[in-house]
Amino acid sequence: MSSSDPRASGLNARRTTRSLGAGFFASELAVLFRRRRTWAMLLALAAVPILIAVAVRISSSGSSGRGPAFIDSITQNGLFVGIAGLTIAIPLFLPLTVGVVAGDSIAGEANTATLRYLLVSPVGRIRLLVVKYLAAVVFCLAAALTLSIAGILIGIALFPVGPVTLLSGDTVGIGDSLVRSLLIALYATVSLLGLSAVGLFISTLTDAPVGAMAATVVLSIVAQVLDSLSQTEWLHPWLFSHYWLGFADLLRQPIEWSSFGQNALLQLGYVVVFGALAYGRFSSKDILS
Amino acid sequence: MPRTWHRWIPAAAAPVAIGAVVLGGVFATSASADPADKTPQQVLELAASSTVDTFSGTIEQSSNLGLPDVSGLGGSSDSGSSSDSSDGSDLSSALELLTASHTLRVYVDGPEQSRVQILDDMAERDAIRNGDDLWLYDSSDSTAVHSTLPADASTAPDASAESLTPAELATRFLDAVDPSTDVTIGDPVTVAGRSAYDLILTPDSSTTLVSSVEIAVDADTGLPLSVDVFAQGTSDPAFHVAFTSLSLDTPSADLFDFTPPAGTDVTEKALPNRDDAPAEGSATPDAGTHPEPIVTGTGWDTIVELPASTDPSSLTDSPMLSQLTTSVDGGHVLQTTLLTVLITDDGRVLAGAVPVESLQAAAGK
Amino acid sequence: MIDGSVAGSTGPAHASGLAIETTALTKRFGRQTVVDDLALSVPRGSVFGFLGPNGSGKTTTIRMLLGLAQASDGEISVLGERMPQRLGSVLPRVGALIEGPGFYPFLSGSANLRRLDSADGFAPNGTRSARVSRALDTVGLGHAADKKVRAYSLGMKQRLGIANALLAPRDLIVLDEPTNGLDPQGTREVRSLIRSLADEGTTVFVSSHLLAEIEQMCTHAAVMRAGKLVAQGTLDELRSAGTTRVIVTTPDADAAARVLRTLGLDPGHPDAPGPAVTATLSESIEPEDIVAALVAAGVRVRGFAVDHASLEDLFVALTGEGFDVVQ
Repeated sequence: MSSSDPRASGLNARRTTRSLGAGFFASELAVLFRRRRTWAMLLALAAVPILIAVAVRISSSGSSGRGPAFIDSITQNGLFVGIAGLTIAIPLFLPLTVGVVAGDSIAGEANTATLRYLLVSPVGRIRLLVVKYLAAVVFCLAAALTLSIAGILIGIALFPVGPVTLLSGDTVGIGDSLVRSLLIALYATVSLLGLSAVGLFISTLTDAPVGAMAATVVLSIVAQVLDSLSQTEWLHPWLFSHYWLGFADLLRQPIEWSSFGQNALLQLGYVVVFGALAYGRFSSKDILS
Repeated sequence: MPRTWHRWIPAAAAPVAIGAVVLGGVFATSASADPADKTPQQVLELAASSTVDTFSGTIEQSSNLGLPDVSGLGGSSDSGSSSDSSDGSDLSSALELLTASHTLRVYVDGPEQSRVQILDDMAERDAIRNGDDLWLYDSSDSTAVHSTLPADASTAPDASAESLTPAELATRFLDAVDPSTDVTIGDPVTVAGRSAYDLILTPDSSTTLVSSVEIAVDADTGLPLSVDVFAQGTSDPAFHVAFTSLSLDTPSADLFDFTPPAGTDVTEKALPNRDDAPAEGSATPDAGTHPEPIVTGTGWDTIVELPASTDPSSLTDSPMLSQLTTSVDGGHVLQTTLLTVLITDDGRVLAGAVPVESLQAAAGK
Repeated sequence: MIDGSVAGSTGPAHASGLAIETTALTKRFGRQTVVDDLALSVPRGSVFGFLGPNGSGKTTTIRMLLGLAQASDGEISVLGERMPQRLGSVLPRVGALIEGPGFYPFLSGSANLRRLDSADGFAPNGTRSARVSRALDTVGLGHAADKKVRAYSLGMKQRLGIANALLAPRDLIVLDEPTNGLDPQGTREVRSLIRSLADEGTTVFVSSHLLAEIEQMCTHAAVMRAGKLVAQGTLDELRSAGTTRVIVTTPDADAAARVLRTLGLDPGHPDAPGPAVTATLSESIEPEDIVAALVAAGVRVRGFAVDHASLEDLFVALTGEGFDVVQ
């Protein structure tokens, strides 16, 4: 260990104003996507449509008539595999991976003791929350696109590809169907914004990331259970999972946008409420980890 | 932490702000300009003179008939519009339409072109009329039924889904307005963002189950925007159908140009002779195969009696029916808040918006 | 409590040239008071040793100084600005190693530093890599820059933590137990690093439970015990605050005691067995005068010694026997 170099003025130059955090956001994404865990989750998500497609291909003895009509449609058109994959993944697999990322956001930093070093850098507590949330949103988008793209690719490989039949019975070309697949991936991303905010808040409550992840995933399941009980019908429109399967409205002709809008409004409400809760908790929290 | 309490202000304020926005939205929609005062008679004339035959919109329909939700029971995936010929599935689909809530989209361009879509979860039922072609499409089982209208037919037979639009339904009630009905005007209402007159029809009969019917008539065009049917002794509507959005623009012509997609199971179906069809009630395309119904009573007390069908056991043995009906003197009765159906032991079916005693009396004649 | 006359211990810090000043700083967790009425005064340019047994509240104090924990009561000023109100402008000028290093094990050493550097809103993006490699070279980790931190030894992680504190030019460096996990060679290197930082004018605030470490590199020190500050000042002040004794070895113990009494001292029996008399030296009497008086009185002086109490004696006296965790 030698004494530090003569202070080169170039290296020691400082910004006169504080940056908005684009550099830190890039760093956050780099940390997220350099983790093996992140890639394992995305690969597991990609496996969902691949398994569906392979299973249907092997047992293509004919449709059973049970389960969503999508599963039957994929034998006629490979472009449906992505949508079928999303349909299967939305209730459990997507919330699971999003719960891991959002639940880990603050608690994970506390667990590796990096939180205190980020805060004395100083990153700023609000900026850290915002960047963590945006990174979780990017993961949601990556997860939804992974499902879509993996599904479309395996569908093209295993099944015929052609014009897509919508729920309304109308037929659209391949280009239009790809646009709709992208819209559905966006819809799924928007659907997960509320859960991400809930996970972020839970993550500020504890230093144990596994606990925060589990609590977030459990909440997503509880919300879906409540959404299926007729006794709690008054609560249904307020549950963050209420519109999760509403992306079917993007497969109608013309596209029914109202569920997209209602979903976005609902998720925005969750982001505002749980973002404010996360701020209240995190900005007044003693970092003792 | 007394020093940091203020950091929780946003968390406390957020739900309040959201509540304010939600409630504010409600207040804002109810605060639209009131239409000019009109007498009940003027509103009836306004509705009768409505010439809107080009529009599109979204309709919410819900029922609170006191029936269990049977949408989960077997056979419900066979929709009413696909017109499966078996009585059992017809019954279950009819019950499905009566008991579940639905969102519909309608596109109408003149009397010759229309499309009704029932938006189900992950599925959709469509009824499309384009000139002489009539298509019924069900995405849940990829089936389509095609009919060609006779060239001389003046009006299309109603698809059962289409009869659920507020306009269709309101027209039936308004046509039935007779001296046994009190017609009044309530406070102006806002439906689908449009201000409307609230026409209240109150039966002047003590024997009907119907307490009142409220019809919102668009102040601009006279188009009925919503219908609420209230049963005796309930404050929530037993049946509710309303536009949630309405556009008077001409819908895209592509919507009426329907070609069944590849892989669809298409059935060609001949239409019954229009002249033989009943004026009221069942309008399924195979209704003509049923015997002629007998109508007794008038106005709100009307009772419709279907003579015994060729195989009464198909009705009485249906497990779903036995689950829903209760045994009474002379048969089984299906009691809803709005409608009573009596299936007599000899297979006749009597129905009406009346108490079961009236049906029993009618059956005994 | 011993309070060395370090600059004025009250008054605004920027006027008095204090790098850290706290008044009545208190931290309670529930009903337990972890830091109690603390009045720290760390002069600028000093190497300040923050001494105390494990559990005496040192780390909690450091967390409050750096805005990680909220004080229950009292005021903090760092580099002349109020904390935590001015956290955003103070912390970029402060480097810190707090209770051991914390890094992402799946990232390399340099990637870890780049992330922490990017968290500093005032650090320009363009020169980040150069800053990181300079900091790594400073702590002798240049060769392991691209190794995953998972593969680092405890000592290497400690060095990486110090490198993080040195990423940007700092006015104040806070090092909490910096030599933890380091071998003797590493300990020496840290010491020389701290000295060189001090030579450049950086204030260094080092906490430790090891007195020897503080004695070897600090100019100032404060001693904590059970959440309370029990001593503070320059090392010389702290040493002189301890007692200085004269030890007279003589067969004429009674005569020697009489002479010492006439000089205004209070002789007593020595701790060690043998013919000797001890007395606490007062400032008004020079040791050589005592010898002269003894000889003049005919006392046979076989040995004469002046014994300064060591800092260790002081530390033990202040914090209790041994460096046990104070409950």
